[in-house]
Amino acid sequence: MLSMRAIKKVYRTDLVETHALSELTLEVGAGEFVAIMGPSGSGKTTFLNVAGLLDGFDEGTYALDGEDVSRLSDNQMSRIRNRKIGFVFQSFNLIPDLDAYDNVDVPLRYRGLPGADRKQRIERALEQVGLSSRRRHLPSQLSGGQQQRVAIARVLAGDPRLILADEPTGNLDSMMSREIMDLLERINDEGTTIVMVTHSSECAERSHRQIHLLDGKVLDAEGPPPLARPRSTASSAGVVAS
Amino acid sequence: MILYNMRIAMKSLKRSPILSTVIVGGVMLGITVSTIFSTIRHSFAKDPIPHKSSALHYIRLDSWDPLRPYVPEQPTIPPTQITYRDMTALMKSTIPVRQSGMFKSNLWVSLPGGMPGGHGAGGTAAAGSAPDAGPPPDSAKTAASGRAPAIRPERVETRLCFADFFTMFEVPFRYGSGWDRKADTDAAQVVVLSEEENEKLFGGANSVGRTIRIMDRDFKVIGVIDHWRPSVRFYDLTQAFLSAPEKLFIPFTLMPPMQIGTGGNTDGWKSGPSPGFEGFLASETCWLQFWVELPTEEKVHEYEDFLTAYVMEQKKAGRFGRPLNNRVTPVLAWMAEQGVVPNETSAMAVVSLLFLAVCSLNLTGLLLGKFLARAPEVGVRRALGARRIDIFMQHLVECEIVAVIGGVLGLLISLGGLKILNKWMQVVLNRGDLFRIDLPMTLLAIGLSLLAGFIAGVYPAWRICRIQPAVHLKVQ
Repeated sequence: MLSMRAIKKVYRTDLVETHALSELTLEVGAGEFVAIMGPSGSGKTTFLNVAGLLDGFDEGTYALDGEDVSRLSDNQMSRIRNRKIGFVFQSFNLIPDLDAYDNVDVPLRYRGLPGADRKQRIERALEQVGLSSRRRHLPSQLSGGQQQRVAIARVLAGDPRLILADEPTGNLDSMMSREIMDLLERINDEGTTIVMVTHSSECAERSHRQIHLLDGKVLDAEGPPPLARPRSTASSAGVVAS
Repeated sequence: MILYNMRIAMKSLKRSPILSTVIVGGVMLGITVSTIFSTIRHSFAKDPIPHKSSALHYIRLDSWDPLRPYVPEQPTIPPTQITYRDMTALMKSTIPVRQSGMFKSNLWVSLPGGMPGGHGAGGTAAAGSAPDAGPPPDSAKTAASGRAPAIRPERVETRLCFADFFTMFEVPFRYGSGWDRKADTDAAQVVVLSEEENEKLFGGANSVGRTIRIMDRDFKVIGVIDHWRPSVRFYDLTQAFLSAPEKLFIPFTLMPPMQIGTGGNTDGWKSGPSPGFEGFLASETCWLQFWVELPTEEKVHEYEDFLTAYVMEQKKAGRFGRPLNNRVTPVLAWMAEQGVVPNETSAMAVVSLLFLAVCSLNLTGLLLGKFLARAPEVGVRRALGARRIDIFMQHLVECEIVAVIGGVLGLLISLGGLKILNKWMQVVLNRGDLFRIDLPMTLLAIGLSLLAGFIAGVYPAWRICRIQPAVHLKVQ
């Protein structure tokens, strides 16, 4: 699903060169649930930005879902982000002016789907995360856990092949964290690949595999398990949260 | 997507109402100033008869003194009007589709006694007198042919013209019509009233067939003009062209028998062979306007040849001692030549547009600050698949919405400003409808608003669409 070979990413200023990723090589198979761990400054976020095509890299090759994405135009990268990748952020990153329904609608708008199709996807996604009754609530009217569930509904509505989660439980209490992890696990059970950056060993333990980064390199390189679960062709309906 | 962007923009405006108000106010100010000054200029410059202005031509002949030009500083400029002798000769041509000599006078008008008059007929008699029209005729004060004394005579602006005038200048009629060419030939005592004069004399009723008294004669009303307000009185640019059209129109051919003098400009250099009115008509006094309708280039050339032949013939008879200098000038060119559009209005219109540009550029900074503060949200949208062009359009639409709101408000304020200006013009020029925001001006104001929005917003929108999403996602 995700194959990075000798990726280098250097941030340069007039005075300093910071090697955020150094010869990073990493494979994630389709249907895997991988946790990326490491101390602050180890390159986790840079890895996630590069993996999500939110940032470029200086050297190496990167293939996503079998497609070399090293030399894509900005528009092509936007299209891949919109159709193949779903993001879950630590701070939820909902748009404050938009209610839950409209937040879930955002990526679908950029996909240019017809109204009826969007409506069906949004309602199904909100139902999957158990927030149908709160569709007209603004983010400020929702708890942290509910906001994260809206963010996950936003991902589900787009039906991506890969979910990149950056500390998805970082701003939640332990009960909410468990709920969100349950939800991600169920999504993964439906066949969606998940790569999750986390500091939490409890969360990491619920993944199939943990990868540790240090100084922009994979510390304990470990290939994908031989039996990465294949993506289910069934609808993801049924990943109902509590 | 445009509707989606508009909805997002409205939410954004509500999010920061004070800043939005300041931005709207900036555009509003710029649009108000530019619309007012552009409308003033437009009121002078617009084509008063767009359907056929290129077909209508004003005729001039240089019959002036051979020893000195009409305008000493500009010897190639012929007199602005023509003589009665020349007009009479030119009217014989069959080349124009329509043609009319004409002049303005001020005539004493009243209702014959015993006839039902309008509410305005009484008590509004003019106290002054006009040298051209003379004092009120006795018949206006006393009975004529056994009638009761006439009701209060009043001096009224009257145009003497030929039958073609009404069709040539597309005069709209509420009741009846203009007279025919036979009435010209017969010097028929018929009159066409303006809307206002019909209101004054007959209370606005259909007065066709009724009689009014002009000087010492009875005239039959054959037509009442509907609301006719050309932006400028283009058919007579020799004086007071901002005034409304005259209130009465009677056949030109009544001028000799009634000895009606002009109320307009006269320029002469040689007296007639005899004294009195006959001598005036035979003199080299230029006092008549002359228009022809020539719908094609061929007709124009044919008419120019006709004029040349006429002048050459007159030269043989001892007239037209100056070099051949005939002018056949279309409406807009004649307006330009007569300086209908004051240079000041053009300059002010340009300055007001520059003011709008300055307002727009000042708003750029405010919009840039507003948009950059929203960078984290843009980062999210980019992460969710928005292309740069999507972000650019979203923000440009927001700028345009702000600009259109400001533009509409500016337009409304402009309407108020021009209303005040028109009231002042009513006092100064007796013309309270000169400056109007018509469809072209409305479209211009909206177009300028959109342009202002684009000028103000294009750079901030471009900057925000270029941000690196990864940098701002953590900040959200």
